[in-house]
Amino acid sequence: MKTNTRSIWKHWLRNVSPFAVALAVGAVAWTGCDSSSSKTNTASGPTSSGGDPPPVFSLAWSEYPSWSVFGVAEANGLIDGAKGSIGEMERKWNVDIELKQRDYDPCLQEYGASTVDAVCMTNMDSLAPSLSRPSVAILPTSTSVGADACIVVGIDSIEALKGTETFGLEKSVSQYCFERVLELNNQKPADYTFKNMDPGVAAQAMQTNDANTKSIMVWNPFVMSTLSKRTDSKVLFDSSAIPEEIIDMVVVSKDSLAKKGGKNFAYAIIDTYYEINKLMADPKTSDQTLTAIGSKFSNLSLEEMKKVVEQTRFYKNADEALTLLKGDKFQKETMPKVVEFCVSHGMVENAPTVGFNQADAKFNIDLSFLEAFKAGTAKPE
Amino acid sequence: MVRSPIPPWLMIVLSIGGLVVALGVYGILSARQTAINETQSVLPGIKGMGEGFTKIRAPQGTESNPKPSWLWQDTKASVTRLFAGTAIGVVASIVIGILMGSYRWIEAPLAPIISFMAKIPPTAMLPLYMIAFGTSTNLFIAMVALGIFFSMAQSVFQATRQDVTQEAIQKAYTLGASDMEIIFEIIWPQIMPRILENIRLQIGPAMVFLIAAEVLFADVGFGYRIRMESRLLRMNTVYWYLALLGGFGLLLDWLMLKLRQYLAPWFQG
Repeated sequence: MKTNTRSIWKHWLRNVSPFAVALAVGAVAWTGCDSSSSKTNTASGPTSSGGDPPPVFSLAWSEYPSWSVFGVAEANGLIDGAKGSIGEMERKWNVDIELKQRDYDPCLQEYGASTVDAVCMTNMDSLAPSLSRPSVAILPTSTSVGADACIVVGIDSIEALKGTETFGLEKSVSQYCFERVLELNNQKPADYTFKNMDPGVAAQAMQTNDANTKSIMVWNPFVMSTLSKRTDSKVLFDSSAIPEEIIDMVVVSKDSLAKKGGKNFAYAIIDTYYEINKLMADPKTSDQTLTAIGSKFSNLSLEEMKKVVEQTRFYKNADEALTLLKGDKFQKETMPKVVEFCVSHGMVENAPTVGFNQADAKFNIDLSFLEAFKAGTAKPE
Repeated sequence: MVRSPIPPWLMIVLSIGGLVVALGVYGILSARQTAINETQSVLPGIKGMGEGFTKIRAPQGTESNPKPSWLWQDTKASVTRLFAGTAIGVVASIVIGILMGSYRWIEAPLAPIISFMAKIPPTAMLPLYMIAFGTSTNLFIAMVALGIFFSMAQSVFQATRQDVTQEAIQKAYTLGASDMEIIFEIIWPQIMPRILENIRLQIGPAMVFLIAAEVLFADVGFGYRIRMESRLLRMNTVYWYLALLGGFGLLLDWLMLKLRQYLAPWFQG
């Protein structure tokens, strides 16, 4: 065995160095990825002025009527979703928004893992991440008024559902809606069976006449597709019985919001959202905008989208959003009920503190951004 | 030098060292994340992992309606599905593979389909399997069984055709053997160790297919729990489940290796 210095060096070069390089690259990638959300980051690349590039904030969104709005904003240039380049709104608010489109579950996981600054999620799903990452809800985007439905085949009344398994995603708005509506009908949820299944495949099972699947509790677009593809299916009950309880929103981490430019980011999100809502309200651009949202939500047509926005009612301006958030019902009934559901169903072990304009709450529903925006006092920092 | 031996003690030290380094890297990452955010649950430390372990072993249900721990419920469900599916897949592929390798008129209609199906990722077939097998336990068993069947039937077929020489078969016929005797006395002993080796190699894929199906369809089992818990960001339970999956896979692998060494000590792999 010849092991002089030279051969050791050769050995290192040939065999060890690739691993060392890979390790180093991995470490750098990890550091880079982490810093994008935990530290103030600066974009490299073209900017509007010669000064410092605007700070980067990322938003994870999934296809859902009021969240696909951000996809539309990207398509029409309000936001340039890539890091390092900015669109109209980003220029206005001097912030670089990075849009990340994901499925819903990965959105929650990315937000929990602190790889994004903000995320689109429901009021209910905000509680678990808030325990480990204090969060601020800045904007309610819509509420479910029929977008979550229990669809049945051959069952005519809620009573008759006893003994039939209902398939849907456990520990989600589906199960919440299911149990809430049963309670409203003076039924005990314990008398009914809710079994876990991914909503997409539950809908598919019913659409393909699976013998086991007589009842499903799913959300759109699965509600619409099931009703149209399985002609003998019908809605037994839906979330129109509990309007303004399931709220879709944009949630930002408290740390990210406190960073330089954090407020601008919040305003830019709010501004963008209402800008697209204006286009939807304007008869001249309404159809076109709905079609654009449909193209980012399960490729639905204009006709289908018109139905969808009835079932997913948008909070189309700051007035409507503030009416919801300031309301006694939402503050004193809905949110406590949602928290109670999350605790009793093991979604959180200890309830996070939920506050309204309460900075130290783990999950703070902050009205100040909407109020400043409404009053016109919101200005870039 | 290539393949030059190292002393056994160094081997052991380095093996333990690798493990220590891996845990150390995790520890550093975890500590770093905790420094950024005290309440983070993505990379839990020792305390968080301890809580996770307690949680998965805690009895569930209410006093009037007690249920076993998550770990027990999930292990029971997943292991049953895995073994049932693997058993069916293995038996079917052995029978079909040997028949294909023995008779051209069975090979002709089946070989093209099987080699085509073996190229399709089984998880992509899930929607189809759902229509064919419904959404009950059958689906998980079918997923595992069909997931391993096509590729394994192909390799059993190859082994039957290639590992057994034409001379051996001719000699047996000359000595008056029947078809069944050829299959059981000549072919089977020669391909058995390769089949055992194949089963061992299919354990990993079988687990992947089961988890994929459980993530979407199950209301109990490893895939179900991993999805639910990671959705709620409780990585301290998720990591235990992943570690158990790894350990379980290693154990099965080792058992199959021992079985093969016992039944076919001459086989080199």
